[in-house]
Amino acid sequence: MSGTQTIKPDKILKELGELWTNMGKSDEAEDQSHGGGLLRACAMTLISFADDEEDCIALGEVIAGLMKEHPSRAIVVRVREGEDYLSARVFAQCWMPFGHRRQICCEQVEITCSMDRLAHVAAIVGPLAVPDLPRVILLRSARVVRSGAIRKILPLGDKIIVDSARAGACGFGEIGGLLDAGHIAGDLAWTRITELRSLIAQVLSSRKPSTITIEYEGKEAGPEARYLDAWLEVSLPDTRVGLKGSGQPGSGKPTIIRIDGDLTIQLAPGGAEVRIGSLEQWASLPSGTDEQLLNSELSIVVHDRVFERVLNHITA
Amino acid sequence: MQDPLRFHRKAPPCAVVIYGANGDLTKRKLMPALYRLAYEGRLAPGFAVVGVSRTAMSNDEFRDRMHDSVKKFLEDSPFDEDLWRSFAQGLTYVAGDVGDPASYVELGKHLAGICEDRKTEDNVLFYLSTQPSQYAEIAEGLAGAGLNHGAGWRRIVIEKPFGHDLDSAGVLNGRLQKCFNESEIYRIDHYLGKETVQNIMAFRFGNGIFEPLWNRTYIDHVQITAAESIGVEGRGAYYQEAGALRDMIQNHLLQVMATVAMEPASSFTSDAVRDERAKLLRAIRIMRPDQVADNAVAGQYGPGRSGSERVGGFLSEKGVNPDSQTNTYAAVTFLVDNWRWAGVPFYIRTGKAMPKRVSEIAIQFRTAPLAMFRKATAGAETVPNMLILRIQPEEGISLKFVSKRPGSGMQLRPVSMDFNYGSSFGERSPSAYETLLLDAISGDATLYTRQDMVEASWTAVQPIMDYWATQKFNFPNYAAGTWGPEAADEMLARWGHTWRKP
Repeated sequence: MSGTQTIKPDKILKELGELWTNMGKSDEAEDQSHGGGLLRACAMTLISFADDEEDCIALGEVIAGLMKEHPSRAIVVRVREGEDYLSARVFAQCWMPFGHRRQICCEQVEITCSMDRLAHVAAIVGPLAVPDLPRVILLRSARVVRSGAIRKILPLGDKIIVDSARAGACGFGEIGGLLDAGHIAGDLAWTRITELRSLIAQVLSSRKPSTITIEYEGKEAGPEARYLDAWLEVSLPDTRVGLKGSGQPGSGKPTIIRIDGDLTIQLAPGGAEVRIGSLEQWASLPSGTDEQLLNSELSIVVHDRVFERVLNHITA
Repeated sequence: MQDPLRFHRKAPPCAVVIYGANGDLTKRKLMPALYRLAYEGRLAPGFAVVGVSRTAMSNDEFRDRMHDSVKKFLEDSPFDEDLWRSFAQGLTYVAGDVGDPASYVELGKHLAGICEDRKTEDNVLFYLSTQPSQYAEIAEGLAGAGLNHGAGWRRIVIEKPFGHDLDSAGVLNGRLQKCFNESEIYRIDHYLGKETVQNIMAFRFGNGIFEPLWNRTYIDHVQITAAESIGVEGRGAYYQEAGALRDMIQNHLLQVMATVAMEPASSFTSDAVRDERAKLLRAIRIMRPDQVADNAVAGQYGPGRSGSERVGGFLSEKGVNPDSQTNTYAAVTFLVDNWRWAGVPFYIRTGKAMPKRVSEIAIQFRTAPLAMFRKATAGAETVPNMLILRIQPEEGISLKFVSKRPGSGMQLRPVSMDFNYGSSFGERSPSAYETLLLDAISGDATLYTRQDMVEASWTAVQPIMDYWATQKFNFPNYAAGTWGPEAADEMLARWGHTWRKP
């Protein structure tokens, strides 16, 4: 456990080292009887920013879930009310894969700070990142996004992940700004429609549609519907693509995709009903929890040219 | 519309016709793999499966049987009843005898209806999950009814064994190729569909640091092990016709060896990769009869223990001839006559009733050229580096090297640096059948064996089979629960090597 006001990266790194040494020793003692073991796993540094008012427990659960697919040094920065507050602690997340005898453990650093100390966090987090591995920033906090400290925080990451569908989060213009600044950017609103896009690509693999209408819930199209519209326009330049709202209040999410006169994809919880003429078939589409979306987004740590092209199309 | 960074590969519309639809492979592997592909949304909306076997059955009975099988044998996946109902709409069944030409005509009519109803674009994959003796007959039956051609593509998948020796493999290939083009024939070797076997190529050709060491200058020898802890478990009657050499080495393990030892392909395309595998298999030195005794060891397990459990010998298995000369263990030293591998022995062993279930490739490097720590460590620094590619059960890669022990003095100790698939990629690995079925439907034959590869691997083992056929072995020669006969240790000792205990 670090002190409450002055935090040095070296001290946190030392605490991490001690954590592993102690875990290794206690495991060794246990190992005598159980023949198990402990494996330290790390494939990236994941830096996430959460608002105090946000449910930090939920974020913790998401990160714990992510560790299995993306073992990382997780640095969680909790921004709290008040002034002049800064503290840090280190701990490990461990799990035992089914059927295995060896625990897999990832390290986690939790930094709690007040808004006025947010700019200092960049100087702490930078040295804590694992060398030579990707550094990904998950920006869930609207306050952090709008703060002046963001200019110091963004350079810490190779990739910045936002969710434009969250209230108060980055909009298309701000994401475009990240791309212009040379960052790799990811938007969970785009990730959310991956399976739907894949299904559309599959059903259109052997046809060239003349018209596609994306119907959505509500009066204004949400980011997912707009991404879908832009992607279809970019991918099928000879096809007339349009958006159509239900006119009633709603989320702005897509509900039905109508392709020419004979093909519809009607979205439903967990999947979609595909109708091609008289053939009806259910296609499973994962519901897309934050954990699933992040799992997918963390797998991509290079520039996603399809996403960038679509975003440019929207912001042009 | 493709997005290769994000989209999983999806199958084009097609119908899969499974011959032997009532058999074990269909129930345990094929149908769970197809269901899983549907679960992941990899199959086209109108995907169809047509089961064919002799048993009279309605479509609904077939669906019910498959429902129970998928539920029972689905691994690492939830079973979704709603998805099943949708998937099962595409399952139909045709009863027919493979020897009856009318059954193929009937199948043709059935497929025409499916093409119309399910929009399969007349693409058909025939999967022969039958007795190997029926492969050619079915292919000829399909061709006789004109089902080997259509408006869409046609492919045929056959399971090993591809013949029982070099001559029969040639005859089978000849008959198949009269009905289908070689590019339409998919010979499945499920070992090649395993993630870790595919990872050998990623490891070798996706990294710059290993390939320069991957040759006779730095590698001392290679050991490939595929050990089963169980015996033949009721498959005695089948197994005594095959034996370990035919059942494992001729196909799976020689393919693994080819993957470990092949030259880099110019591209990751089906023919480029298979050309290199085939070249390696053709470079295996063919033994003369007088060389077999020194370079190949046959074994058969007798009574022993598997853990704390007492197990009987192979000869006490149901359906096994009490005088059986079947090898349940085989170990072979192969040499490869090319510039990269000249003089490097590749030891391959496989056996039933061994101490544990393990498949791995151990690459032993030459020791450091100068033993500079000899005095301080009483020779301990001469421990060679070893790279272990673990295929099962815990897939991963380990590198063994020596490190200085903490403290004064120069004490060295071997340590292991481990990469574990499970910890680095928490996501579920697809089963070999999922991978290979999707490949066949997508027209990717990279992981399938080609006629020249099959014939090259038979050519490599034929002299051993011929020599062993002339011998009267004193079986059993190893106890269940041990690492095989002493003669296998002696085979390596002649080269100054010992088997690794995985």
